[in-house]
Amino acid sequence: MHFNLSEERKMLKESCDRLLNDHYTQFKNHHEVSSSETGFNKKFWEECSEIGMLSALISPNFNGLGGTGEDIMIVFELIGKHLVVEPFLSSGILSITSLTHSKDIETSVLDEISSASKIYAFGHSEVDTRYDETYIKTKANYKNDAVFLTGQKSFVLNGDFADKIICTARFSGNDFDQNGFGLYEIDKSHCDIRSYNTIDGYRAAELKFSEIPAKELSKNSDAYNALLETLYAGAFALSAESIGAMQVCFNMTLEYLKTREQFGKRIGSFQALQHRMVDIMIEIEQAKSAVMLAAGTYEEDKNTKYKNISAAKNLVGRTGKLVAEECIQLHGGIAMTWEYNLHNYAKRLVMIDHLMGDSDHHLEQFKIYSNY
Amino acid sequence: MDFNFTQDENDFRQEIKDWLSENLSQRISNKVKKFQRLDKNDYEEFMKALSAQGWLAVNWPKKHGGTGWSNTQKHIFEEEIVKAGAPRIVPFGLNMLGPVLMEFGNEEQKKYYLPRILNCDDWWAQGYSEPGSGSDLASLKSKAVDHGDHYIVNGQKTWTTLGQFANKIFCLVKTDTDTKPQNGISFLLIDIDTPGIEVRPIITLDGEHEVNEVWLKDVKVPKENLLGEENKGWTYAKYLLTHERTGIAGVPNSKSAINHLKVIANKTYKNGKPLIQDPLFSSQIAELEIDLKAMEIFNLRAISSAESGKAPVMESSLLKIKGSIIRQKTSDLLRKAIGPQALPYISEQFDEGWNQKTIGPEYAGPLAKQYFIYRKISIYGGSNEIQKNIVAKSEFRM
Repeated sequence: MHFNLSEERKMLKESCDRLLNDHYTQFKNHHEVSSSETGFNKKFWEECSEIGMLSALISPNFNGLGGTGEDIMIVFELIGKHLVVEPFLSSGILSITSLTHSKDIETSVLDEISSASKIYAFGHSEVDTRYDETYIKTKANYKNDAVFLTGQKSFVLNGDFADKIICTARFSGNDFDQNGFGLYEIDKSHCDIRSYNTIDGYRAAELKFSEIPAKELSKNSDAYNALLETLYAGAFALSAESIGAMQVCFNMTLEYLKTREQFGKRIGSFQALQHRMVDIMIEIEQAKSAVMLAAGTYEEDKNTKYKNISAAKNLVGRTGKLVAEECIQLHGGIAMTWEYNLHNYAKRLVMIDHLMGDSDHHLEQFKIYSNY
Repeated sequence: MDFNFTQDENDFRQEIKDWLSENLSQRISNKVKKFQRLDKNDYEEFMKALSAQGWLAVNWPKKHGGTGWSNTQKHIFEEEIVKAGAPRIVPFGLNMLGPVLMEFGNEEQKKYYLPRILNCDDWWAQGYSEPGSGSDLASLKSKAVDHGDHYIVNGQKTWTTLGQFANKIFCLVKTDTDTKPQNGISFLLIDIDTPGIEVRPIITLDGEHEVNEVWLKDVKVPKENLLGEENKGWTYAKYLLTHERTGIAGVPNSKSAINHLKVIANKTYKNGKPLIQDPLFSSQIAELEIDLKAMEIFNLRAISSAESGKAPVMESSLLKIKGSIIRQKTSDLLRKAIGPQALPYISEQFDEGWNQKTIGPEYAGPLAKQYFIYRKISIYGGSNEIQKNIVAKSEFRM
């Protein structure tokens, strides 16, 4: 038993960290990037691709260089550390997972993603479907050999600048059926798009479409399996991202406690504040441990994999909120300003709990996978 | 990263299991599982069996008769003895005094005391806390006055766990009152039969007798019973704290308590359905289970970093805090799970051989009592607040 990274992965981590650090220190905060026309920096996205950050998310079976739980954890922790707005979640893990679980998928499609030549986005949520896995109201209409989609997809991350959108749509059954829906690829150019920034400084879009041509990727139980794999891959990646962001919040707060003076002393000398810092420290170590376990069992049977990811996402949801709230409180007034960078991390930590299932959703899932 | 135990470690686990199934008596494990009172013989029977097998001094190096096990092996051993329902290995001689003797004792002391600990000839008690010195241990007042070849000791020790079974006690006493408190403390090894010593029971809130007060009045202690140097006792006392403490999180205990909780929540009904299916209650169990699983990994991370030679001092404190919270929360849910069945308190139920009918199910009897006594976990061994001070001091460097 050991918890160290292999030499190869250590190198991956270091080179990615350096690249992200060099790029992101140019900006005051990530809103500058996400508020640009594209919502992210296309050139920098290509640089990430060049050093293998995208290949690291793809299994060698699809011409990638990684794709294991450990690889995903390493990459996403760094994304959390630097608040990276480039589409690692949307065109990365979500699209990669749904595509690699599609029928007859050609490796060249994954190559297009990993080389940054095509941007994909993933649209499953609809405006009022919350975190329900199979509540899909968008319709798929099969006519002869072709299929056409009608409906609306919401909160599609990077949906405004993606070339292709992968989305869920139903062709039969009730709104909640596990059968009767499929995963489809549609072209962004056919969609009516409303683009916006999210509260935590990322880019998303509402997509509306009516009888637009689509390409079937999977349907019925295959689609259900692909969807679950995708949602769990996303939940796992976000859990790892959260760890990176928590660590930054903790470090910023510790630094602040050492410099800020009140009553003639550094506020870090006050025991009430020290003890709250230790509480956060414990919970961060706990959350980190849960994510490591999810990473270490990512390749195991689905029950174990999903159970551990749900445990991690639940814990990260609880801990992320705690860290966000406590770090703001320990800073005091300065943390309420737009100028001071802490709020960006705090917002991301809290909003991660609004993506791919919140802590309540994953607690329920954990109970199911643990046979309660 | 690799979350699996090696084949050797799995074999080791099996060896421990096999040995326990043959050598831990059913009588004792039944008592432990029913939370019945253990007497001195119960503890000693198990410890002597371990000693004969060479597995008693888990934390000692081989040259002193210990196992020389790795941290991972110790962890596996701890897991298995808890699972089997063994009584706890009384730690005062083995894990507290033993390492200090090896590091700071003179040759004669080592030669005399270590084998006696190993053979269960001596039962040591810990004489640290005093009525006026709990978290602020260095403020202790018990005093040893130099009388040439011996000291005369006066004072009072408290919270002396299982002191009623002990024949020896190691005590921190003041030998110099004119200096900084930490610099005037000495470490004495004392026979409990010495005239002037009286051990009085303290009955705890659960109605049980486990801890004691020890009164010392003009107690004559020969100088050869001084451990190490005079006035260096604080260093020796602190040495214990930095000594590896892999078991501090109590992971095996919490694991078996959560399993127990799930069994009970399956047997207890609410509105005609097992309690485990009640969303409110089961969510509390599930959160706890997630916390415990995370802590188990955190604990293994600390063990594995200790294996590579880094003393996990900070981790020990964090694990002690989280471990106590998880154990207390589990006992809180156990108490809640049984509803009004928590009310009856039949003290005789916890005596060996009691065979009358319980009011509720047999498992209900100890749960409320245990909930109350488990409040101690965040108080003893350096309270959680003291642990936070330690971490803040060593990690934050404010």
